[in-house]
Amino acid sequence: MRLPCKTILAGLGASLVWAAMAQAQSATPAPENAAFEVEQVFAGTCGFCHSDGGRAAGKGPQLMNSPRDDAFIRDRIKHGKQGAMPAFDGAFTDAQIDQMIKYIRALKPRDG
Amino acid sequence: MRKQWLSSVLPVVVVATFAATAALAQSVDTARIESAGQNDWLTYHGSYKSHHYSPLAQINASNVGNLSVAWTHIPGRSTRGLQSMPLVADGVLYYSGSYSRVFALNGATGEVIWSFFPELDEALISRQTHSPYNRGVALGEGKVFVGTMDGRVFGLDAKTGKVLWESRLIDSQKLTVGFTGAPLYAKGSVIIGAQGGEWPGRGPIFALDAATGKKKWEFLTVAGTEEAMKTWGNESWRTGGGGGWMPGTYDSETNTILWGTANPAPLYDWSGPDYKTQGARPGDNLYTTSVIGLDIDTGKLKFYHQELPHDAWDFDSSVGEFVMLERDGQKYVVHPNKGGFVFVYDRNLKVKNVWRLVENINFVKDIDPKTGALIGRRDFPVGKVTEPPLCPFIGGGISWNAGSYSPKTGLYYKIGQEWCMTLDIQKTTPVTTPQAQLNIGADFKMVPPPGGEIYGHLDARDPITGAKKWEVRYPEPPLGSVLSTAGNLVFVPDSRGVLHAYDAETGAELWKHNNGTGHQGGIVSYSVGGKQYIAVTAGFGGMLADEYAPNFGGVYKSMPRDDGALVVFSLK
Repeated sequence: MRLPCKTILAGLGASLVWAAMAQAQSATPAPENAAFEVEQVFAGTCGFCHSDGGRAAGKGPQLMNSPRDDAFIRDRIKHGKQGAMPAFDGAFTDAQIDQMIKYIRALKPRDG
Repeated sequence: MRKQWLSSVLPVVVVATFAATAALAQSVDTARIESAGQNDWLTYHGSYKSHHYSPLAQINASNVGNLSVAWTHIPGRSTRGLQSMPLVADGVLYYSGSYSRVFALNGATGEVIWSFFPELDEALISRQTHSPYNRGVALGEGKVFVGTMDGRVFGLDAKTGKVLWESRLIDSQKLTVGFTGAPLYAKGSVIIGAQGGEWPGRGPIFALDAATGKKKWEFLTVAGTEEAMKTWGNESWRTGGGGGWMPGTYDSETNTILWGTANPAPLYDWSGPDYKTQGARPGDNLYTTSVIGLDIDTGKLKFYHQELPHDAWDFDSSVGEFVMLERDGQKYVVHPNKGGFVFVYDRNLKVKNVWRLVENINFVKDIDPKTGALIGRRDFPVGKVTEPPLCPFIGGGISWNAGSYSPKTGLYYKIGQEWCMTLDIQKTTPVTTPQAQLNIGADFKMVPPPGGEIYGHLDARDPITGAKKWEVRYPEPPLGSVLSTAGNLVFVPDSRGVLHAYDAETGAELWKHNNGTGHQGGIVSYSVGGKQYIAVTAGFGGMLADEYAPNFGGVYKSMPRDDGALVVFSLK
């Protein structure tokens, strides 16, 4: 099943403006749209270790049906685990991390 | 041993009081590495010929049954195992562990002569993925050279471990990546390539003055020339990836550094077949997934071959040794690619042949053995890739550790990996601020080859034609390097933790020993005081090893991924 793209509108405005300014100052072209699409971010970064979009264990554990509570997952995303998972507190905002948790909670087995 | 603890703001160097062995050391220079004296192992690939072969024969097929552990060394803090290639000069063994810890040990006894623990930017390292392992050091001009994950290279006094110079080369705070690969020393220069690949940067390769650490030149593997710039549509070169994360070699006849480069980012483009004009990085994406020849004095590109134009599968050319050999008056360079093909070049990197090491390959139908052109490539649009899955798996048909060529048997011993993956290709946007993040471009999962099982194999093949003489299979792909010796032996450290010795002519297993944890690093042979030793790094974990527990279970479920040891063997 493909999840609908999750777009954060409110609450992210300031950070996105900041990010857009930083992009403009750097040599990197701005993204096609400034929205935070969690599914895309997962496929860009998180899915390297959490296989099949988080549905299966890979280098990192399976996230679908995780028994961990939101606070644990939030802390792990922000601070990582030495030798196992990077810390993303400098990369993503709290609101973006909340979107990742929502993505994880909505994971279902793929059709077929 | 007397310990000398220095200020916390300085790298910690512990020097033993009995460094007499090191004091006897002669300086390692280019001529010495070129000639590859039989008692030593002076550079990552053994010598510039990159044979990973020892001419020592004291340990041989008739007595290998008497091989046993002579000594071990525990480096500590082996996060993601131990992945480095030990080096040996004049009876002193030098090797590195995670966090770029460097040790100089008495090669006969394992006694510590000195150690060097650099103080690293731990906050940065906590945000890295391909970290904190280190894959080796280089020797030259009385120094030991090592890179760090926070973008520096150190030049250490080979006798004491004292820092002689330190050079910061990469803004790792911005780019996230640093150095994990071993440097190469040649002709007064220290050459080292940055991590890159799926990281949105331009993948530099640097040359430093071995005497001072001053940067001599820098070559960008992403759009490093005007010609290359044209192969990245929509200015995608700005976040192109690339890099050269494993050491290449030096060809003194042409005064050239040969280096393999990493893949472009994102790994999995959504272009579909129109990759020349569509997708994340329209064009061939030079000089990613290429072998390049750089003038060692200037860093200018002399020649290259792009093994996979517009690599859309993460099958880069950073893996693999540049095996130099001669046959019938012709000089060849043999270089494996992660996709499972082995390329045979002349010394100017002109394709002479291409052959398959691996059975399960479907990212292309074939590669033209005369031209190297890809035939029947699979370029994916957004969506699922399941029927058939992509073969090989992201870990490659060939991984980064080294094979071995024996001039005695004329055979090339190389590990192949048979596995595949399903994908869900997605459009991604490079994240470069405030700090660069991975750009993969797909969700994926390891699966068996269609109609078959996952396995690995050691092949003994003709390096030029690829003709297979024998093969040994393993239930899971071995991830360590291979060593062949003049004792008619081939050593394979496997993933379950067993070190095997085979008859180099037949593949018959002659000896094995369980080191207690998986291997994914180097293995070398050397001699001290007339006695031959085999040294192997044991310790599992990292980008590929971390996939073993969830996919294979068994011994991997309890195998530590934060431990390791250097284990050294000799005859009883």
